Amino acid sequence: MHPQIRAYRPYVSPFDPCPPQAVKTYVVPPNLFLGYQPPNLPQFPPLEALRHGVLWPILYSPYHGRGDRRETRDAE
Amino acid sequence: MSDQRQMDARYYQLLEQLQAIDFVLVELNLYLDTHPNDAQAIRQYNQHVQERWKLAQEFECHYGPLTHFGHSYSDAPWQWSEGPWPWEV
Repeated sequence: MHPQIRAYRPYVSPFDPCPPQAVKTYVVPPNLFLGYQPPNLPQFPPLEALRHGVLWPILYSPYHGRGDRRETRDAE
Repeated sequence: MSDQRQMDARYYQLLEQLQAIDFVLVELNLYLDTHPNDAQAIRQYNQHVQERWKLAQEFECHYGPLTHFGHSYSDAPWQWSEGPWPWEV
């Protein structure tokens, strides 16, 4: 799993009417650990920046949508 | 837009480059809001403004105006209402 995605095991009630989700995941965005952005960070070239949705690779946070979640559920 | 104009490869190339450079400009704009004294970033911003201006010039010469409100010229006949519109690209 990507280091920006973290997982925890929620409490599962014995009376849960639905199949319980044993592991839940959440994303920790990289800006949390950067603080005030230092100047002169390495940059993506313009076209890649557009694809990644961010100009500085250090701030890139991947998003895979539902496919990613299904993958973690299958891994259980 | 009933009559579909076929756009050549250069149209899409220029449009993508414009999109990318506009994105870089937005990123630098936001960055400079919090780092107003970063001279190198300002230099990069200004370089990209120039580059964008050149790209926009070439694009508008061949494919008509990019913006409204008197920011772009138009050839005759009036080109603003000609497709493709952004959502048709």
